[in-house]
Amino acid sequence: MGVIVGPRVIDAGASLLSVLVSPVAVAAGYPSPAQDYFEGRLDLNAHLIKDVTSTYVVRVSGESMAGAGISDGDELIVNRALEPVDGSVVVAVLDGELTVKRLRITPTGVVLQAENPAYPDIVVPSLSDLLVWGVVTRCLHVV
Amino acid sequence: MGAPAAMRQLPQIAHVDVNCFYASAERAFNPALEGRPVVVLSNNDGCAVTRSPEAKRLGIAMGDPWFKLAPRAKEWGLVALSSNYELYGDISARVMELLGRYSAWLEVYSIDEAFLGVKGTPEELLTLGRAMKTTVRRNVGVPVCVGIAPTKTLAKLANKWAKNNPAFDGVCHWDAVPATDRETLMRRLSVIEIWGVATRLTKRLNALGIHSILDLSRADPVMIRDRFSVVMMRTVLELQGTPCISMEEERIGRDQLIFSRSFATPITTAAGIRQVMSVYGQQASARLAKHGLQAKVLTAFAGTSHFNPNDTSYPTVSVALPMPTADPVILTKAAHALLPRIVDGIRYARAGIMVTDLRPSGNQAPLSLFENPHEERHIGTLLEDVTKKYGRGSIGLGHGGIRGGPDWTMKRDMLSPRYTTHWDELPLVKAA
Repeated sequence: MGVIVGPRVIDAGASLLSVLVSPVAVAAGYPSPAQDYFEGRLDLNAHLIKDVTSTYVVRVSGESMAGAGISDGDELIVNRALEPVDGSVVVAVLDGELTVKRLRITPTGVVLQAENPAYPDIVVPSLSDLLVWGVVTRCLHVV
Repeated sequence: MGAPAAMRQLPQIAHVDVNCFYASAERAFNPALEGRPVVVLSNNDGCAVTRSPEAKRLGIAMGDPWFKLAPRAKEWGLVALSSNYELYGDISARVMELLGRYSAWLEVYSIDEAFLGVKGTPEELLTLGRAMKTTVRRNVGVPVCVGIAPTKTLAKLANKWAKNNPAFDGVCHWDAVPATDRETLMRRLSVIEIWGVATRLTKRLNALGIHSILDLSRADPVMIRDRFSVVMMRTVLELQGTPCISMEEERIGRDQLIFSRSFATPITTAAGIRQVMSVYGQQASARLAKHGLQAKVLTAFAGTSHFNPNDTSYPTVSVALPMPTADPVILTKAAHALLPRIVDGIRYARAGIMVTDLRPSGNQAPLSLFENPHEERHIGTLLEDVTKKYGRGSIGLGHGGIRGGPDWTMKRDMLSPRYTTHWDELPLVKAA
């Protein structure tokens, strides 16, 4: 709601308090033309996490995903509610450990790809053999 | 099913709980524990309070002391973990938030179980139950089972059945099971398996020739009321399919204390919820003091009414307290962490708090040691009353727990990381 400013007769008999609580009295001073549009500062939580209930943050250990911009020590935002698709960066369970890889679903099979030539890809017999823990949506990287 | 549409649409109760909750919460972040026997130990690494199915199969009983299990742990491949209540509190809050999406009527019953009001045909209800099971497992990472029935008591029974009989695949809808099968189950189970029937009552029931759950369900409710209590009569009626256990009350469980209530008039402002949280904070404080306990984790929640399915909201927050405490000020402040999640204008019909990670108060310093009397007068009065009633040291203010009680530095040698609440304890993912 905009605030209407204009000359106003102040009742000399009114107490200070009643002036303060009067809605029109709020107009004292110059109204910011922007106040109608101000909805609060940027909220990183809202920006980075779409589904708080289903989202976890994990820490990367190793350099096998360097090509995807994911480095050792980075924090990844992982949404477990998302369906992994071909090309998703996923956290998968491999030999009892959480591992981050690029998921490739091809007609010939499922591959967990490293994004670093120094590391081998892992071929998974079928999608049902693969336990995807969550889909990575963001990487928090210190520059 | 030949039942008329009106009958099929009667509201039903879904009871959802997490399988071996503490062990499952650990497994969600440490997949290496999958398939291995796992026990979670009570405070001070005392005894087993949660056992994975593999641990149960080894013959480990609830409450087995760790010093007896430890010598054989290696041979069994047994993994023992200290209670990580911060983790469990957060996972619990996530499960409850997620369940809140499935019903406008959600009642958090304990850290790992909830009742939901649900409606639909038997097919729809089964689909709903399966969706809840799949979604909680996928989105949060812990397995749940679901029992759906006309009453809370039967829903709990259905859930137990779903857990123990693999044919249900974790979801049992009571009305969808043939009556003869239900009778067989109820005939097999002793009355002690029923929610709210203790050993002492079991003996008295047995003396009347009531041994199985089926016997109890066929008993005359009036006779039961006269010989036992209204509570037991309600159980009988619930077994017969008449819902009688309606609203939540204060409950104390093995390791948790819950305060929750429905409001006569919905609360629509954060200021209103603040007041309610303050009352609960103080009630929890007094109750903890009465039992000589302190809490380390507090969960606060609120929810909209099931009569208002348009504007549903189930904010939940779990707070790790700076130290174990029964202090009304600290508990109240912690409960206020819920307030930023409260949306003004939404009609909240219930709210509550749950305190967990309970442990004995230990030797607290006397109140007189504290130089800073708290500014809130009524807190002082409360403290006085509690002290008068339960003796000095039963309750303390401020950082009393730290200065006075060395007891809070507990033995937790096998504590897993607090994966979801501390930046320096995040789960590690390998990029190798």
